[in-house]
Amino acid sequence: MQFGIFTVGDATTDPTTGQTPTDAERIKAMLTIGKHAEEVGLDVFATGEHHNPPFVPSSPTTMLGYLAAQTERIILSTATTLITTSDPVKIAEDFAMLQVIADGRVDLTLGRGNTGPVYPWFGQDIRQGIPLALENYALLRRLWDEEFVDWNGKFRTPLQGFQSTPRPLDGVPPFVWHGSIRSPEIAEQAAFYGDGFFSNHIFWPPEHTAKMVAYYRQRFEHYGHGTAAQAIVGLGGQVFMRKNSQDAVAEFRPYFDNAPVYGHGPSLEDFTSQTPLTVGSPQEVIDRTLGFRDYVGDYQRQLWLVDHAGLPLKTVLEQLDILGGEVVPVLRKEFAMNRPADVPDAPTHASLVAAAGAREDAQPADPATGAAFGLGAASAARKGA
Amino acid sequence: MAVRKLAVLSAGLSQPSSTRMLADKLTSATVSRLEEAGIETEVTTIELRDIAHDIMNNMLTGFPSPKLDAAIETVTGADGLIAVTPIFTTSYSGLFKSFFDVIDNRSLTDMPVLIGATAGTARHSLALDYSLRPMFTYLHAVVVPTSVFAASEDWGSGADQIKTLPERIERAAGELAGLVAVSDRSSRVDDPFALDPSFSPTGGFQAD
Repeated sequence: MQFGIFTVGDATTDPTTGQTPTDAERIKAMLTIGKHAEEVGLDVFATGEHHNPPFVPSSPTTMLGYLAAQTERIILSTATTLITTSDPVKIAEDFAMLQVIADGRVDLTLGRGNTGPVYPWFGQDIRQGIPLALENYALLRRLWDEEFVDWNGKFRTPLQGFQSTPRPLDGVPPFVWHGSIRSPEIAEQAAFYGDGFFSNHIFWPPEHTAKMVAYYRQRFEHYGHGTAAQAIVGLGGQVFMRKNSQDAVAEFRPYFDNAPVYGHGPSLEDFTSQTPLTVGSPQEVIDRTLGFRDYVGDYQRQLWLVDHAGLPLKTVLEQLDILGGEVVPVLRKEFAMNRPADVPDAPTHASLVAAAGAREDAQPADPATGAAFGLGAASAARKGA
Repeated sequence: MAVRKLAVLSAGLSQPSSTRMLADKLTSATVSRLEEAGIETEVTTIELRDIAHDIMNNMLTGFPSPKLDAAIETVTGADGLIAVTPIFTTSYSGLFKSFFDVIDNRSLTDMPVLIGATAGTARHSLALDYSLRPMFTYLHAVVVPTSVFAASEDWGSGADQIKTLPERIERAAGELAGLVAVSDRSSRVDDPFALDPSFSPTGGFQAD
């Protein structure tokens, strides 16, 4: 199981000091956080994508490219990459490029975004959010899985014999997660392709997440990618920890009360009981996180949001120390217990390369299926299914 | 005996509230009419004041608290709805509108609705027709032709003696009862994961 952090990238005023980081300070802080995530032993760092202040990360692969050079082991990912308003050709190329730079330590989570005006800014219509996500991803897959692509869709300039460059590293595109809070269409899409499903989890009650994940698992099985229990599930989470529970609550409360997403709304206590937000001791975070398995089943990836709402960098780094030092080692052990042997880990570049190799050994390249042209793992798996 | 579910929403703020009084009168008249038609009615009355904070929190966080969720289920899963608000500053109260702002805008489709309002003077009575009725029409609810407005004077000596409040209530209740009697909304199974029949996971273009 993979553990890591995801950042929204908000440059928010610290309500306890009145200090607001500049865009440059916030970006540098995110880079420090990404590097420290590896230092404390986390497996994944993921950044959001936004095109409006107070959010700073408009160019995730630039940020992840730097982190690739500065780290050795951590998987660099997104939460989320806007499949609706970004050109799928550019996504295909940016992430294939990043794959090479990061030696394959890359995957991505696709999402539709949550800022209405982004659609018109990029020439799209928000009412077409779902159709855009479906069609753009269909093109993205083909750009990675097929060498030369002819394309004529509804939303993008047609392509004739187009070759996206560079080609995916080792002929294997990055693993894709699909993120959604409430749209069954996106869970269906993830299941259809045999891709991962990432549930944001942190803004809604767990019952809702449980239903969405159950639906995705059932459809994953329906499309023949494995049993429902073998579907690839990721969850968000949100924590603030101190040695003593009361200290954590007292320190986090002003950040909670003024947070851009839920500030000036429900009390910290209500929000904690109604969503996965956990503010308390490391042990409380361990217990709460282990409880997620009770309603989504054995899953593959747990990411936490730790650097938002104006929390100072020093505090965020301390949170990472606690996660890496006290929480994740226990979770690794506990989640491994009673985990059925046939529940897979989240795919990595190495595992996808191995799977593609095994398939090629099993069946000689057949030009009719396109395998001779370096078809990617996911597509080959689909055709085999 | 057939059973129908009737949800009653009152946005009155004071206690006792004339808005709630009007809601109760509309309810008992409707229940009587249904009883005459051999139909038993399960009534659930919701005072929006009790979930006022929850409604605003839903606005801010995007999801309902368990208490609000139960109220939304009650309203959207009913065979009929009686919705009564005080008129504030020429329109429905903000709390009343906020409740309808946080529910799924498809969840009241085909819902039989009886609208009522209260205010200090009868000069506000048209608010029913220029604010409440269009809102429910937007939500694709079926609003009965008679809406009931009660001014303060309707509860006492200054009441309209020609078209009396009880008469207006009876007429509206009869209209609502007729629609509730044939409604099957409460027994429908709603599948939140139902996809449009035209849905294709590849977007319908360049599909394999």
